[in-house]
Amino acid sequence: MDVIREVLDFLHREAALLDEGRYREWLSLLTEDVVYRIPVRLTRERPPQGGYGGIAEGMLHMDEDRASLEMRVARLETGFAWAEDPPSRLRHFVTNVRVGEPVRGDRGEEVEVRSYLLLFRSRWDRPDFTFLSAERQDLLRRENGGWKLARRLVILDHSTLPTHNLSFFL
Amino acid sequence: MARIQSKGVSQRLQELLEGLERGLEEGLIPAGIFNDPELFELEASRIFSRSWVYLAHVSEIPSPGDYVLRYILNNAFIVVRSEDGKIRAFLDMCRHRGMRVCRAEMGNASHFRCPFHGWTYRNDGSLVGVPAEREAFGEGFRKEDWGLLPIPRLEEWDGLVFGNLDPEASSLEEWLGEIRWYLELVTKRSPMGLEVLGPPQRFVVNTDWKLALETFISDSYHTLMTHRSMIELGIAPKDAKYAMYGEQIHIPGKGHGTMVVGAPPGAKLPPFWGYPEEMMERARTSYPTRQQWEVARETRIFLVTLFPNFSLHNPIRKPDPQYPVPVPMLTFRVWHPLGPGRIEIISWGMVERDAPEWFKEKARLSYLRFFGSSGTFEQDDTEIWSHVAQNAASTLGRKVRLNYQMGRNLKPDPNWPGPGVAYPINFTDENLRNFYRKYLDMIQG
Repeated sequence: MDVIREVLDFLHREAALLDEGRYREWLSLLTEDVVYRIPVRLTRERPPQGGYGGIAEGMLHMDEDRASLEMRVARLETGFAWAEDPPSRLRHFVTNVRVGEPVRGDRGEEVEVRSYLLLFRSRWDRPDFTFLSAERQDLLRRENGGWKLARRLVILDHSTLPTHNLSFFL
Repeated sequence: MARIQSKGVSQRLQELLEGLERGLEEGLIPAGIFNDPELFELEASRIFSRSWVYLAHVSEIPSPGDYVLRYILNNAFIVVRSEDGKIRAFLDMCRHRGMRVCRAEMGNASHFRCPFHGWTYRNDGSLVGVPAEREAFGEGFRKEDWGLLPIPRLEEWDGLVFGNLDPEASSLEEWLGEIRWYLELVTKRSPMGLEVLGPPQRFVVNTDWKLALETFISDSYHTLMTHRSMIELGIAPKDAKYAMYGEQIHIPGKGHGTMVVGAPPGAKLPPFWGYPEEMMERARTSYPTRQQWEVARETRIFLVTLFPNFSLHNPIRKPDPQYPVPVPMLTFRVWHPLGPGRIEIISWGMVERDAPEWFKEKARLSYLRFFGSSGTFEQDDTEIWSHVAQNAASTLGRKVRLNYQMGRNLKPDPNWPGPGVAYPINFTDENLRNFYRKYLDMIQG
């Protein structure tokens, strides 16, 4: 299987685990040294060199490592995490996947992957719902034959979040 | 009774407010006050148009030209440090034809140029550029009459910048009153003061600003159930009543309130919130009074809420269950009213400017784990607040009188060393009853 196909497979499987609330299995897709960050996004001037502007320095919505992600998952398992109990109906739509050239480094084979994410969220019996839109800049690493997520930077397309909490993973 | 000015107020709203006034001293509050379009209009004109509202911390705009965009109600203000070093705030609205002149949520600018017709203002608000001035407006056009409109009132206290839409408002110091003693436990913990960790997180919640405020001004009682997941994880103290131990204090006539929580009996928690030794040493001499130092030394969880919509929260927390020692974090937040049943939470992480770098990093992570948009405590608060607001708008629900009777028979603590009226236990609604007295006073007049 070529790398692009493997990466697509990984992203689609990851999305399914997140949508089905199979968080322990999701954690098994992360490396031990995983870094997971969602910076605050602001309205700023257009950067002269192009690219995304307004990525806040110093403030994030999430800045996680393995231990803190495990804490968040363990919280969801307590039965008292009201934000997600009952769980939100989530759907991670992953598109526009761009796969870089795999590189063999100190920690094994790694590949940079960018994808677009549209996340649908609906709660309770209300007909309204929210969308979150973002680009994800990932680093995947091959461990024991399979790909794992070593780094994720989520570039949100929101300054003020249209939802009352981030009680799930992007 | 029936002191509500009936002019322009519907029968329905009058009944609602009379219900609040009648029930308050018995500890009964009609749920309808938490989601009502008419009441929201009254709050906008009588409370938010006449109160000191938190806008920014001085550390957000340290250099000349630095600015942030902030709101009171739906009015956008550019809060900017001018070239003379003075902080000013202007309505972000071109005096010519009403366009927004500020093109970012924060930045640095010597001038603000309107993209509509090009009128250009210096960062002290003065109009300095009008394209084709002579051809368009003739000789002698008085640019000095057409500067950006300054916010009616702007004052700073110990690094905290507040605005007021009422030009006749009393001073900020007068407004704050004795709550300053408690604010100083945070603002004067270090002689260098505080700094923001970065720009605020902003997120919307379908709830009422008063419901959010209630949790932070008084509701120690919710922690045992709302935040039970964190107790189960061993991140909040094992004793589910942990937030009960301490004093609940209000400032009569002002609406402000604070909760000073110590260690639960038998819990091994370091003194002074668990701040590093060197910060504790600096605080000992930095606090204006010995009493403040002595209170701070025994504090583990600390909250201050200012009428009408500013709260700070300063708890000791383990960043994760494995981390060996708990670390304090500090957040400032504004419960920004957007409309009936809808608010924006503007949440800042804060830290002492001269804190050691390793500690700043721990405090930052602790804030991100527990409060703000993804905070594992705050997530459950916002979920619950939104459902209460939904019920409050229902035809039956809005008439239901909710229970605010906790601690009604308590006697104030005569030995408390700080100002205000203190109660020796945090399981009381006393701060709320005081808040709603001020609320009624402003709504009625």
